Amino acid sequence: MSNGIRVAALEDIPEGEGIAVDRAVTGTEDDIALLRDDDGTVWALNNTCTHAEASLAEGWVEGGYVECPLHASKFCLKSGAVQGLPATRDTLAHRVEVLDGEVYLFPGQQP
Amino acid sequence: MNSRVVVVGGGIAGVSTVAALRAGGFDGDLTLVDAGEFPYDRPPLSKDYLSGTVELKHIALQPPQWYDNQQVRLITGRTASALRTGAGTLELDDGSSLPADRVVLATGGRAARPPIPGGDSPRMHVLRTAEDADRLRAALQPGTRLLIVGAGLIGAEVASTARQLGCEVVLVDPVAPPLATAFGTEIAAWLHGLHETRGVTTVRGAVESFYGCGDAISVTLSCQEHTRSFDTAVLAVGMAADTTIAEAAGLRVDRGIIVGPDHLTSNPAVLAVGDAARTCINGALAHRSEHWEAAERDGQRAAATILGTTAPADTAPWFWTERHGVHVEVVGALNQADEIAVRGQLGQPPFSVFGLRAGHVIGAVSVDDSPAVRAARRLIDRDITVDGAQLSDRGSDLRKLVRR
Repeated sequence: MSNGIRVAALEDIPEGEGIAVDRAVTGTEDDIALLRDDDGTVWALNNTCTHAEASLAEGWVEGGYVECPLHASKFCLKSGAVQGLPATRDTLAHRVEVLDGEVYLFPGQQP
Repeated sequence: MNSRVVVVGGGIAGVSTVAALRAGGFDGDLTLVDAGEFPYDRPPLSKDYLSGTVELKHIALQPPQWYDNQQVRLITGRTASALRTGAGTLELDDGSSLPADRVVLATGGRAARPPIPGGDSPRMHVLRTAEDADRLRAALQPGTRLLIVGAGLIGAEVASTARQLGCEVVLVDPVAPPLATAFGTEIAAWLHGLHETRGVTTVRGAVESFYGCGDAISVTLSCQEHTRSFDTAVLAVGMAADTTIAEAAGLRVDRGIIVGPDHLTSNPAVLAVGDAARTCINGALAHRSEHWEAAERDGQRAAATILGTTAPADTAPWFWTERHGVHVEVVGALNQADEIAVRGQLGQPPFSVFGLRAGHVIGAVSVDDSPAVRAARRLIDRDITVDGAQLSDRGSDLRKLVRR
C-alpha cells in the first residue's frame, strides 16, 4: 500500500482498546495511538493527550471517542476534536487502512 | 427574558456554565466576571503549578481566543460587590454596573481558617488560588521545615509536592486514616502510609496553637508535649462557600447558596453553581461534592435551566487525585457496599477495589488503574449486574462486562 506503514495486525488491537506506535516507526513528532472502537473500526490519533502527559492508547475507547486515562478529556476518534475539559486543544488524526487483517498507518495524512 | 446572562466566577463551574450556554444555542449577551488574571484550572495548584513545572498560562481553562470565538465578554481582575435583583443589575468592585436578566453565581469558596491562636501569622498559608500557590511556592525551599495541617486531598497533594521540592514535611491530622469515607479504610490507610515511605512525618493529632517567633513558627500539637518549630505552615482543612453577595441580596443561604436540582436559588433570576452552591432536594440539604467534575456538571445543568432544555443525565460522581507518583481515581461511593471485590493486590499498584450492593457496582477506587474506575462508572450508570468474582479476576476484560 503506497506510503502506508504496516504497524500491526488487526487482532493485536482488541475492540475498545488501543496500542501506541513509536515515533521511531511513524516518523512523526509524537507517538501515534491506534484506537479500535467498539464497532471494530481502527482510528489513529497522536498518542499524547493535549492536556497532560498521558497516553491515549491506554484510554477508554467507545462510541466514537477515546477518554484520556488521566483526567478523562474525550477526543473524537475520527477528527481528533476535543470534546470536553480539562483539555482544550484538538489532537491530530491520521489515516488508517485495514487490509487482509493488517493495519496500515499513513502518518500526517488526514483520515 | 433571558437575553443577558452574567456569570460571576471563572472557576470550572463558571466557565462550564458559559460553555454549555453557547453549546446549547444561547445567542444573547454573555459576560463572565473573574477575579484573577484569566480563568484557570485549580487542580494543578497543589501539584505541577506549585512545584513550578507549569506556568499559569499553561493551566488556563480556555485559550485566550476562546472567549472571542464564543462571544463571551470576559471581565478579569474584578469581583462582584452587589447583586441588585430588583433593578436587574450586578455591581462590580470598580463601581461599574452590569445589566442582567439572569445571574449565575459561581463564586466558589475560601480556604477555611479555623480559629487557632496564632493562625494569622504571615508564615501561615492556605491554598485556593494561584496567588496562594505563588506565595506558598516562594516559601518552599530545599530543607524548609513545613507543617501541613489536614491530610485530606489538598494536604496530601501539597505534602507530595513539597517532598519533591526537598522540604522536610510534617503532616498532621486528627483522623486515622484520613479520607476513609472517600477511599474505604484499607486504601485510605495504604495511601496515608505512602507519606511515611516518601519521607513525610505523619502525626495523628490536632494543632492547639501557633506562635510566631522571629523567623519560625512554634506549634503546639495536642498529642505532643513539646512545641515544634517550623519555617512555614499550610492550613488544608477544607473550604467555606463564598456567599457574601448572595446573602446581601437576600437569597437563602446555609453554608452555601441554597439551590434546587435546577440550580435556581430562592430568587429565580439567580442561579448558583459549584462550591458556592448547596443543593436542597425535597427539603433536605445534600452533601456538597467539592470536586472538579461536580462543578463542571453544575454549570451544564444551570445552562440547561436557563435554556429550558433537558439537563444532562446524572452520572456517578468521580474525582482523581495524585500523591507521591500514584494516580488515584474514585467513582460512586464504597461505604454502602455489602460486598468488596479487590482487583490486583491491595498495596501493589496497579490495583482497584470495587464495592457492590445486591450484585451491582456502587463505587470503586483505583490506584494507577484508571480503566477499572472508568469501567465501574459505566457499570453504575448503566445499572449492569455483575459478579464480584469477575471483577476480581485480573484476567477478565472489564470492557466486555460493560458492553455485555
